[in-house]
Amino acid sequence: MAKVQDAPSLEEDAEERRLIDRSAAGDQEAFRQLVLRYHRLVINVAFRALGELALAEDVAQDVFIKVYKALPGYRHDKPFKHWLHRVAANAVTDALRRRRPIVSLDGMEQPPASRDADPQDIATRHDLQRAVRHAIASLPSHYRDTIALQAFGELSYGEIAKTLDIPLGTVMSRLNGAKKLLRERLGSLAHDEEEANTA
Amino acid sequence: MLSHTTTRDWLIPYADGMLAVDERHRIDSHIAGCAACAAELREVRELNLLLVTLPPAPPVAFAPFWLKLQAVLPQRRVLRIPRFPSYRRLGLALAAATVALLAAAGSALAAPAALPDSPLYTVKQLEESIRLTFTPDNDRLTVQLQLASERLHEARAMATNHKPLLAENSLRAFRVTINDAAAALKNPPDPPAAKAAVKALRVELAAVEQANAAGADDDADVRQLVLAATDELDRIDGTDAGTTGTPVVVGEQATPQPTPQPVSRPTPQPKSSGGDSKKTSGDH
Repeated sequence: MAKVQDAPSLEEDAEERRLIDRSAAGDQEAFRQLVLRYHRLVINVAFRALGELALAEDVAQDVFIKVYKALPGYRHDKPFKHWLHRVAANAVTDALRRRRPIVSLDGMEQPPASRDADPQDIATRHDLQRAVRHAIASLPSHYRDTIALQAFGELSYGEIAKTLDIPLGTVMSRLNGAKKLLRERLGSLAHDEEEANTA
Repeated sequence: MLSHTTTRDWLIPYADGMLAVDERHRIDSHIAGCAACAAELREVRELNLLLVTLPPAPPVAFAPFWLKLQAVLPQRRVLRIPRFPSYRRLGLALAAATVALLAAAGSALAAPAALPDSPLYTVKQLEESIRLTFTPDNDRLTVQLQLASERLHEARAMATNHKPLLAENSLRAFRVTINDAAAALKNPPDPPAAKAAVKALRVELAAVEQANAAGADDDADVRQLVLAATDELDRIDGTDAGTTGTPVVVGEQATPQPTPQPVSRPTPQPKSSGGDSKKTSGDH
């Protein structure tokens, strides 16, 4: 699993605090710098969850608006990045639940495939990804919020625990429950995909 | 030898690499002789593969993203005290002269004491900006501490007068001012004086909290900002021993309370429907 970037150095941390405090006081230039630091992260989370760039950008905009409004109450008692991850995960799972399960024909939304890729394989993979997203959206909220941080946010168990402020054992328990339900709901799709990969 | 049931319960953390070495070995031993568990492990890994292969977003240009966002950001009054570039100092000098004239005329005499709910408050802010701009670097910390103290005086007065929003504004401005002064406070020219000033600010912060709690408002945002400002002073003092208090709230999502303690050998609780040890705002 991909790991998030290492914790910022002390100097970066102090600079981030300054940007956060200034943003909280209404300094939009400071907020612009914060957004510049994190927009890629938030858009990625949203895109992995939603699979459509335009929609992912809209959700990312909502995330930053929520953050801007909430910043005056932010107390630096947890890393800003964890806090942001949580806001982003909530926003994308809400968007995912609201979204109707449509079949998109727009292949441009997906990253370009290699020239050798079989169009049939690409279509199958996109269908699988959609199925996974909707299966995650259908989970009970405590499972959904936790697995969203793993699948969309690419966070480790420890990072999820810190982001949600829950014990590591609870993360493990929730991911266990979430993945069991996902396996039930996705049925044989995952298995078919594996066979396609090895064929 | 692990039981079949236990092994199946542990397969997901096993596949995620979350088990300790000895636990892994016990699972390995069971799987080696159990075709059913081996098949289930394959399924778990297939699901993991699906989850980790959700593609990242293609590159997105920042400028249009920011412009779109900026257009809908709620406007907040900017409370920071600006540092004016040198080429604007002539203009500022003229503004200072104007303020001086006004003062001579009597109308600005009251400005230094103006509170945020006074029409003269903007004059006071302008005076302070000019004062800070023309203060030599070696005296800057003293002025910043005075201004920080003034913000707390205002916050206390506003809390007492049941104007919590204005109290919040003054507290935010306090945080910005003290943040600007943080670097100088770490290495002050007169350490005992700086220490005494920070101590006095703590007393004033406590007074703001008291005024807020004493009124019928007992505004939660004021409370939070006082705590945040206290944290700020702790950080400057190097006495930050962790924080307590009301968590940040984002929309309907409350930031939960304690930082979890790392668990060296976590034990999965697979039959977990509704079995979480702690309920957070994410649980509905």
